[in-house]
Amino acid sequence: MTAAGKLLQAAVSYGDWRVDQFIEQIITGLSIGSILLLVAMGLSIIYGSMGIINLAHGEFVMLGAYTAWLLQSHFGLGLLASLVPIFVVVAAVGWIIERYVLSLLNNRPLDTILATWGVGIMLQQSVRLMVGSELRYVQMPPSLSDSTEVLGLSVSSYRVFLFFVAIALFAVTWLLMNRTTVGMKLRAIMQDRSVAASFGINAKRVYALTFAYGAGLAGLAGALVSPLKSVSPDMGTGYVVDAFMVVVLGGVQSLAGTVASAFFLGELSGAIAFLQNDTVAKAIVLLAIVVLIRFRPEGLFTTRVRA
Amino acid sequence: MPSKTSAPTGLPQLGAQIAPLLLVCALVFALPMILNNDFLLNKIARYLVLGILTVSLALSWGFGGILNLGQAMSFGIGSYAMAMALKLKTIPVHTGSGGLPDFMVWNNVTQLPWFWVPFKSLSFALAAGVLVPALVATALGWFIFRSRVTGVYVSIITLATMVVLNLVIIDQQSYTGGFNGITDLAQLEIFGIAFDAYGRATYYLVAGCVMLSLLVAFAFTHTKAGLVVQAIRDHESRVRYFGYDVAAYQIFVFALSAAIAGLAGMLYTIVMEFASPTFLGVQISLSVVVWCAVGGRQSLVGAFLGAVLVAGMQGALSESAAFLETWTLVMGALFVLVVLFLPKGLAGLAHGVWRSIAERRPAVREVTGSVGQTREGSA
Amino acid sequence: MGISRRTLMKNAAALGAFAGAGFPQIWIKNADLARAEGGEIKVGVLFSLTGTTAIIEESLNKATILAIEEINAAGGIKGSKIVPIVEDPASDPATFSEKARKLVVGDKCVSVFGSYTSASRKAVLPVFERQNNLYWYPTLYEGRECSKNVIYTGAVPNQQQDEFVPWLINKFGKKFYLIGSNYIYPKEENNYCKKLLQKYGGEVVAEEYVPLGHSEFSSVINKIRSTQPNVIFSTVVGDSVVALHRQYRAAGLDPEKMPMASLTTSENEVAAMGGEAAAGHFTSAPYFQVHKSPENEKFVAAYRKRWGDDKVTHFVSEACYFQTFLFKQAVEKLAASDITPPNIRDAVKGQEIIAPQGRVRIEPDNLHTWLWPKIAQAKSDGQFQILVEAKEWLKPLPYAAYPGQVCTEKGLVEKS
Repeated sequence: MTAAGKLLQAAVSYGDWRVDQFIEQIITGLSIGSILLLVAMGLSIIYGSMGIINLAHGEFVMLGAYTAWLLQSHFGLGLLASLVPIFVVVAAVGWIIERYVLSLLNNRPLDTILATWGVGIMLQQSVRLMVGSELRYVQMPPSLSDSTEVLGLSVSSYRVFLFFVAIALFAVTWLLMNRTTVGMKLRAIMQDRSVAASFGINAKRVYALTFAYGAGLAGLAGALVSPLKSVSPDMGTGYVVDAFMVVVLGGVQSLAGTVASAFFLGELSGAIAFLQNDTVAKAIVLLAIVVLIRFRPEGLFTTRVRA
Repeated sequence: MPSKTSAPTGLPQLGAQIAPLLLVCALVFALPMILNNDFLLNKIARYLVLGILTVSLALSWGFGGILNLGQAMSFGIGSYAMAMALKLKTIPVHTGSGGLPDFMVWNNVTQLPWFWVPFKSLSFALAAGVLVPALVATALGWFIFRSRVTGVYVSIITLATMVVLNLVIIDQQSYTGGFNGITDLAQLEIFGIAFDAYGRATYYLVAGCVMLSLLVAFAFTHTKAGLVVQAIRDHESRVRYFGYDVAAYQIFVFALSAAIAGLAGMLYTIVMEFASPTFLGVQISLSVVVWCAVGGRQSLVGAFLGAVLVAGMQGALSESAAFLETWTLVMGALFVLVVLFLPKGLAGLAHGVWRSIAERRPAVREVTGSVGQTREGSA
Repeated sequence: MGISRRTLMKNAAALGAFAGAGFPQIWIKNADLARAEGGEIKVGVLFSLTGTTAIIEESLNKATILAIEEINAAGGIKGSKIVPIVEDPASDPATFSEKARKLVVGDKCVSVFGSYTSASRKAVLPVFERQNNLYWYPTLYEGRECSKNVIYTGAVPNQQQDEFVPWLINKFGKKFYLIGSNYIYPKEENNYCKKLLQKYGGEVVAEEYVPLGHSEFSSVINKIRSTQPNVIFSTVVGDSVVALHRQYRAAGLDPEKMPMASLTTSENEVAAMGGEAAAGHFTSAPYFQVHKSPENEKFVAAYRKRWGDDKVTHFVSEACYFQTFLFKQAVEKLAASDITPPNIRDAVKGQEIIAPQGRVRIEPDNLHTWLWPKIAQAKSDGQFQILVEAKEWLKPLPYAAYPGQVCTEKGLVEKS
């Protein structure tokens, strides 16, 4: 029986369980999951295709949020209008980092952890120096500030919006990977870099583009999430750990796996948080992941076992 | 093979390898005679302890190939063990009956929890500070290595486990002091010597442990087990084909590394005068990895000096008016540069320079050789 | 990838230069300077400029520096200038301890102003108690401390809640949902709150703690919806405050029926959450930026002029400000050769000053401060509106929740 099923059983035995609450829980889980997915998608692409453990991923999220704030406070641009510029800006930063730092570390996967961590510190501190440490405010798009009715329950419209955006971005990414030439080249490189190179595929360029794309996604995630929370230089650090758990659980190199595990983890932590509290939820989720990695390191959703 | 696989082929080689180690130990012991400033000694003592912690990671990572992103867990367990013992030795007026620590009284705990009781004995605490991390590491290692989990996943599991323990300690504040940690400690007293954090006795205690841990680690890397562990780092399946129980060796080095980290933790509590859940935090765990990388993970002395140097530099930079705002940025930049251009750390640099001087040959091939060999053995 | 020897040597030289450049600094700063010598009074300023708590500690640093600059501009303390030695403890308790040692033992400061979190205060406490120095702690905290080496200028639970809780019960109802960050400050405040609720006939429908820095509150909001409290008593801190408020609003909950009552939401958090999310909720604190008094108007204007028009003042930065002036007042009473931390402590006992919030006083018994609690409601323009002001200043009782103990001049005393 799945973990969600077991939890349901336990919950029912609590007594006083109403269908409303149950649906509310599902929706909460979907919302948490969609945020996790937004953040983890970029990481999944980068790690899955390049094997790079990008500890600066959280800082890309942070940069996206700050770009949103900057565009809003200095140019009066609303969040929805800023999304494209934000993607471009953060993707550009990602491209620069890949080109001048990461491409020099070709065959040293664990050294990428260290290098990206150093880069992350630099990004964080640069933002702090340029803008200051205070919390910043990004306005929620007014059109989405109210609540809507979903299955008889009142849910924040913005959260519904986030859910659809996450799905949409996943669809776009999947199409890019599987239906475009660039995506095909990337998949070729993932299979065997030297053979792909002998076919004339410029691995360096593809890697740079991929990393930039992943960074851009992270930036979008940061911007999209900021109206629900706040913007600070170190907001990214929390996201890195969560994002990694999602990617590892879902199975490296499986985009669909990332989606599934994001929602699974979202439901799980939401449910446990409701039954217990958030601290316990976090601890249990981490333990569950540890156990899962041990027994199935390839993740939940990979069909082939890769060495 | 670019690695400094320590092959004990003959005494001169052994001598050459142990010389830097002994030199560093001598320097550490001689320092109080050069620097007659107790405050500076206390400050340096802190860096020395962090050095011991980094040596333990070098053992596990550089020699064993196990990147433990949760090394701070063993460190923290050791520091809490010492803190618990020292806390039970205080006699503040607001301790309840049965000698309960103040934070427990405030949380309406009426009886000393079972896992605190044995810490009334200092000898138990001293043993626990080293053995409990080793036992936990053995259990965790058994969990990880018996199922042949490798590479990144090992690091993730160690990191996750540490975060869980961190969460538990913060959550259970009635039994652990929570986020504040365990503060207001008595001074450690062994054989009548009081170890004041600012006193020479503490410095020499730390210096002694520096020597002990360096020698123990060095000795281990020169035993047969140590060689097998290094072979596992380089090519796990090959060692397995030879019939060795790979997991057992991995667990052993993992546990030894944890024991040394636990020792460092105990010293840290004495030097800092408190124990905090931040000692089990992601920040310090990643910092240790950084120090190890900068110093050279495959060199015990390198890792030690890397920690002392970088932590010292951090301290100095952050205290200088010029870098008050930008020291983090500078440290980050330096670190990226080191990772990019000095993959063997400062020890690798020193080694390359030494070789070029000693052998009076153009060092280009040597240096590019050790830097360029990125394919194997550097993961 | 091949690297030329030249590049390598260049990099090594650069690294070496950096390492070498760093060390001389230690030597110069530790030249043996006596205290308050040569027209200089050295004080330490110990607030994080990097790391998570820099979010708020940066403003504490700024307020302290502003006060020091004002004092020096007015001639210093009987002609001697205050020399602030600023350190960055990077939001890490161990670094707090290291920097505190440096300030106290290395630089021989006569006082140190610092700390926001209780964890950092507890980490530096041994330094000040062992070296008999003086720490000035400006932050609201959970009480239950009676150190003779700390001057506490922030509010303690009785000052924040004694008027607040009964007022809330009266206005909104008895059912309280307690939510806080998972560490000692919220737990102690909730402890005290529960005692007050018992006294005034209130009821706790839930008590919950989220990890520090936590920002996902959908489960909490679901629970709030299902338990339907009258008041959400919030002691979450930092960016959790902002997230909670924003998600509360996004979920469509109504502050008129179920307001959040907080001890920690200040102008800082309100600025970060936007007026819409802040409006309608309540905070209890001794100081708000809108408070009408000549001292406050001067303070706010000076702060903005010095640090930027977009900056706000709040109840912790105000405490930083007035505690520096109290320091000055205390030192003025001493002869130049007598300026030592224990003397400063004795001199500051009973001292009063007109702070931006009103007249404050250092209570000689426990070295805490008499303050003027206020209850304010946040408005959609991002500022507060003060609804209730205490008619009299409130005595600080750090052990109010523990009737068996009291902090006296001699230390903590158990009453049987």
